[in-house]
Amino acid sequence: MSGLWKIITAADPQIRNRSLDDSCRNATTEQLLDEAAELERLRHSSENLYERVRALFFLYAIHRFHLPARDDAIATGKALIPFHGYEQLLSRRYEEAIGIFLAAQEGEGPSDGISSALAAAYRGLAFQTLADQVRRSVRSVRGNQWMFRTGHPADYALRIRPELLMRGNGDPFPILCEATPVRMDLSHSGWSDIFFLGMDLPEMARVLNVSIDLAIHEANAAGPKPPVETYLRVVDRPVIRLVSVDLDATAEIGDLQELFDFGRDYLGLLKAALIASGIVPPGMEGSGQPLTAVLAQLMGREGLGIEIVSHVNNIPKGSRLAVSTTLLASLISVLMRATGQARSLTGPLAEAERRVVAARAILGEWLGGSGGGWQDSGGVWPGIKLIEGVRAAEGDPEFGISRGRLLPNHRILTETEVSAETRRRLQESLVLVHGGMAQDVGPILEMVAERYLLRSDAEWAARQTACKILDEIIADLHMGEVRAIGGATQRNFDGPIQTIIPWASNLYTETLIRKVRAEFGDAFWGFWMLGGMSGGGMGFIFDPKRKPEAQQRLGDLMREVSGKLAGGVAFAMKPVVYDFSINERGTFAELKLGADAILPDDYYNTVLPAMLRKDQRLLSECERGDLERFSSLSHDAPGARERARGFLDRLLPHGNRDEEQAETLDSVLARNGFDPVQHERIQAELRAGHIGVAQNRLPASVQIEDVAAEQLFDARREVDTKFTKMGEEALAAGTVAVVTWSGGAGSRWTHGAGVVKALSPFCRLAGTHRTFLEVHLAKSRRAGKRFGCEVPHAITTSYLTHGPIEEVLQREGAYGYTGPLYLSAGQSVGLRLIPTVRDLRFAWEDTPQQLLDAQAQKVRESVRAALIAWARQAGEANSYTDNLPLQCLHPVGHWYEIPNLFRSGVLAAMLEARPQLRTLMVHNVDTVGVNVDPGILGWHIARKATMTAEVVTRRIEDRGGGLASVDGRVRLVEGLALPSEEIEFSLSYYNSNTFWIDIDALLKVFGLSRRDLRNEEKLAVAMRTMAARMPTYITLKDVKKRWGKGQEDIYPVAQFEKLWGDMTALPQIACEYVIVPRARGQQLKEPAQLDGWLRDGSAEYVTGLCEFAD
Amino acid sequence: MIHMQIRKAVITAAGRNQRNLPMQTLFDQQGVERSVLSLVVREAVRAGITDVCIVVWPGDEEPYARLLADDGARLTFVVQQEARGYAHAVFSSRSFVKDEPFLHFVGDHIYVGQEASGSAKGLVEAAAAEGCAISAVQVTRESLLPFYGTVGGQPVTGKPGLYRVETVREKPTPTEAEQDLIVPGLRSGQYLCFYGMHVLTPAIFAILSEMLIAATAGRVTLSAALAVLAERQQYLAMIQTGQRFDVGVKYGLFTAQLALALSGQDRDNVLTHLVNVLAAREMPVKGEGA
Repeated sequence: MSGLWKIITAADPQIRNRSLDDSCRNATTEQLLDEAAELERLRHSSENLYERVRALFFLYAIHRFHLPARDDAIATGKALIPFHGYEQLLSRRYEEAIGIFLAAQEGEGPSDGISSALAAAYRGLAFQTLADQVRRSVRSVRGNQWMFRTGHPADYALRIRPELLMRGNGDPFPILCEATPVRMDLSHSGWSDIFFLGMDLPEMARVLNVSIDLAIHEANAAGPKPPVETYLRVVDRPVIRLVSVDLDATAEIGDLQELFDFGRDYLGLLKAALIASGIVPPGMEGSGQPLTAVLAQLMGREGLGIEIVSHVNNIPKGSRLAVSTTLLASLISVLMRATGQARSLTGPLAEAERRVVAARAILGEWLGGSGGGWQDSGGVWPGIKLIEGVRAAEGDPEFGISRGRLLPNHRILTETEVSAETRRRLQESLVLVHGGMAQDVGPILEMVAERYLLRSDAEWAARQTACKILDEIIADLHMGEVRAIGGATQRNFDGPIQTIIPWASNLYTETLIRKVRAEFGDAFWGFWMLGGMSGGGMGFIFDPKRKPEAQQRLGDLMREVSGKLAGGVAFAMKPVVYDFSINERGTFAELKLGADAILPDDYYNTVLPAMLRKDQRLLSECERGDLERFSSLSHDAPGARERARGFLDRLLPHGNRDEEQAETLDSVLARNGFDPVQHERIQAELRAGHIGVAQNRLPASVQIEDVAAEQLFDARREVDTKFTKMGEEALAAGTVAVVTWSGGAGSRWTHGAGVVKALSPFCRLAGTHRTFLEVHLAKSRRAGKRFGCEVPHAITTSYLTHGPIEEVLQREGAYGYTGPLYLSAGQSVGLRLIPTVRDLRFAWEDTPQQLLDAQAQKVRESVRAALIAWARQAGEANSYTDNLPLQCLHPVGHWYEIPNLFRSGVLAAMLEARPQLRTLMVHNVDTVGVNVDPGILGWHIARKATMTAEVVTRRIEDRGGGLASVDGRVRLVEGLALPSEEIEFSLSYYNSNTFWIDIDALLKVFGLSRRDLRNEEKLAVAMRTMAARMPTYITLKDVKKRWGKGQEDIYPVAQFEKLWGDMTALPQIACEYVIVPRARGQQLKEPAQLDGWLRDGSAEYVTGLCEFAD
Repeated sequence: MIHMQIRKAVITAAGRNQRNLPMQTLFDQQGVERSVLSLVVREAVRAGITDVCIVVWPGDEEPYARLLADDGARLTFVVQQEARGYAHAVFSSRSFVKDEPFLHFVGDHIYVGQEASGSAKGLVEAAAAEGCAISAVQVTRESLLPFYGTVGGQPVTGKPGLYRVETVREKPTPTEAEQDLIVPGLRSGQYLCFYGMHVLTPAIFAILSEMLIAATAGRVTLSAALAVLAERQQYLAMIQTGQRFDVGVKYGLFTAQLALALSGQDRDNVLTHLVNVLAAREMPVKGEGA
């Protein structure tokens, strides 16, 4: 039997906890493939969730890490990824995709590409299996089951509490108000609260969790209060009205199916709460029943509905305080109380009721597609509590399926265990902050599950240590040793947390800790990471004597450090310091009656403007009542003046004074090298239909074929010493320079946050977080020392990146780089265009689109019709200028970065300083493994190539064209130019976007010589002539236009780009191609790639190429 | 979009003891007299099927072939060599199906749908669009569970009437059904039961093969194989609102004829006859009747 399957199924923990890496380290490729085949067979035969999931992760890791690391058949295997399998993968049909990939492996032998596809499919299936199990368990939890059986209003069993329907003459309906604290965790024992860990390893799933109230420091005189408030009242129309005051969103739902559409608006969480609380049971989905029938049952009569209002006070996203789960739990509590599912209408909840709320919050999270851990609804409970996993026993729905139960036990720590004095001292020592970063914690939680199942030795030991630290903190709480708690949370962060997940820390957090320690010395007792990762919500524990000062300083420090890092790190908001207090009553409800039945001011600001636009005769009695009450609040009540002014601000449009002071579009264009002649040419071609979204593609008659490996130079093998020697001589003679393309904002890197990718401190290498730019300069430093001649290094920038890069290089002393360093400022920028109707239609009608449900599809179609009318009215292919200047500009693609090097005078300066310079190695800022390799350089020189392009074998994530034979000529083809997506999958090699360029030969192609590099006019003409020969890719992009306060519209605009790879299509360029190892050619496009990159040895490889200044 | 083309159908003819059933004749909606098997084949042809395989007992090929001379499909007869039940009959067609998806239903059921184009057409179109196996199901009361294979699953968002199948049980008990087969959107005590019409992918043969080997001489059910299919591939269920009639049960042929006639061009004529029969029937004297 398979050795790996034995590990998975072993009863003995010594064997079961053995790591996969240990077992695979010395296995041959053949043994690994045999093990994989056996695991694949056996995983189907097991009923046990844990066995199936662990087998899937083993298979993923074998294909992601172990097989590709072998320098044999896998690396050079030729099998391509079947497109059909890729399609199945996109549709999340993992089993079918795996079947197709395995068949390809069986038929054509293993390959790096097939392994990458299998790894993606196994990983996807593993997480899908876990999610399915959570969903099944959530459904089978007692108290939830009935909701899945109720599919028809006639079977509906809930009734509104009569107290909510009672009102005096002329009075509004009563308002039920729930106030819920958020939770912070003192320790989560290595993220042990994620569902799978709790269900597989209940004995080690332990969290110490505290319910707290908050206020922004120095902003709120009233002091801390529960941050989450939810309200419910009856309304006199048969609808469900949802209002999120903090998101400024409202919806009036009259159709049952609309409630199940979570993606439609920002109110997904409120909808999920309505469903998870049984008000509209999940069994109703797709039943086609009218919502009015459900409401008639709920209210006991026709014509009435309910309104739900959510209000989160001053806590932004990424607080690590589980705000969304707390909000869900609060909403579920208020809805359960209102329908008699909780015994008490007001006051706290009973223990059994809290457990139902927690179970339903998990259901709600699953419905709404969010997901945290099981400790996240901890705010429903009061005070400090220990939450622990529980072994599944007979009678539990999980029994026989998983070792632990889905729902943990909450044990509230009494005052005997943690005295009132200790609680007070904890509050006096802890400074709670929001650092301003809002990262997605989802990938971290996935990594935790993955690492746990693969069981690396270090991770497993860290988990044990984390458990011991939790015990230590409990003991310290008992003894009242707050200082020791600080020491423990700091050790937890430095040790187990970062051993399990290095990405939990970042440069920002570490800089803050360092500075705080330097300033406060002994009075700083320790750092405390909240929730899943640092950078957002964080705690710093101080000697209570210095807490007020620390609160002040932390605010300043966070502003200072975040200001310095803002160029390369995405901050969602300005950092905030909180005041907090431990909440000792948990979630709590009150009923507001008569004149007191008033909602928060912001509610009226959100809802009333729309109401005022309606015909007053059509308003319901309740709506008229709201208007009257708000009117009286704006006259007589305390704060009337501010209230009235705030409301008027919302109601009336007002210009933006900031905008007037900003630069004009013309000045921005002029400063960034806008070329009006080219712009007009593109406009004319677009209007005439010569270019456009459909015209990006090569004609279908063009023959596109794969290129055989024999036609390429394979640098993955040992390179002939004669080439290496040639390259070494060239480097020693100082004939080579490096050019790093750094013009992009890396929109995939930060999901559009608009920071400079080159400045992102993406990973800790050689002990410190490094930016992309620092890594590239460290490689140039090493090359300079190795070959005895410094390497000139040029960094090309754009209007988005120039300022920040210049500032950081200055501040950081060019990261200690002493060689010649140049900054080539972007000289090209595009002005966006109104799209043509033809392009809009092509994008919307002729390319595959995700179909929405009937109602949403109707909305989408009407919006599109309006946008087509807008394009016609605004003038097709006219310049787009009706927005902020920076929103009207666009980057024009990396083709321009080399000609910009000519025009910026940087190349001339480089040649003047070093006339022997002959070769440029040009690369993307995210290709971190590239360096001036003497072997490849020697080959490039020996072949007398104008340009040598590097390619890698394609993996499933490599999208966007590749190396192809196009009508017989070998060249790079962009994904945009391929007539169909399927063709891309027939191409073996992917463009890593690294080019070796012979300077003189390239100048000649442009019709230039070295002498012309100072002749601006000639350069401009040469560049324009060459640009005209390059294909222009037209793309459509959504641009937001903001107006008023928080209102925004989205318009599609047309923009163009030209890409350097297309130079390979020019007949006068002698182009060569070289296959390089993956570690060299890998581009880091998304942070999600980092963990694999770190673990597959690539990070180590890159560190080996660098010599850092420190 | 994953799209597949369905051009083959597999029809399993009646069991060993009911070999004459497919040869019984009925009048179709147009009033033309046809055999049961011919009606079934025509249902497939209306769904765009060009190649039909009929799984028969040894010796039945010729009489059946005579019944099906002009039904517009290329016919292949496959002989079921062993008496190992319905799922084995489906398995016998694997050499005909090869690696294509196929439409499948039984040869002794008549389907009368609201659509003039037949029930199978909608099913085949849905399977082609979704690119996966799909079974027609009907919303069925709890009391009828002992007669049918039943599926559990989740509605497909944005596609009313389509469900992603997660579980399949053959003739489940109400307890089993309540635990595993509740489908959101149905009333309490209602389940999705097979309508006897499926579009299957060739993966079903590998599953049946494993099961038949494991069961040696015993029988396996198609439902059990479909339960495995749901684990390995995307597998959907689609609600059908039509009616189906098993011509093998008592009055089955008669009821099927009545349904066909009442949904066809002779509806008024047949109704008149029925009323006449009812009117002419001797009424029991009050107090003496049942």
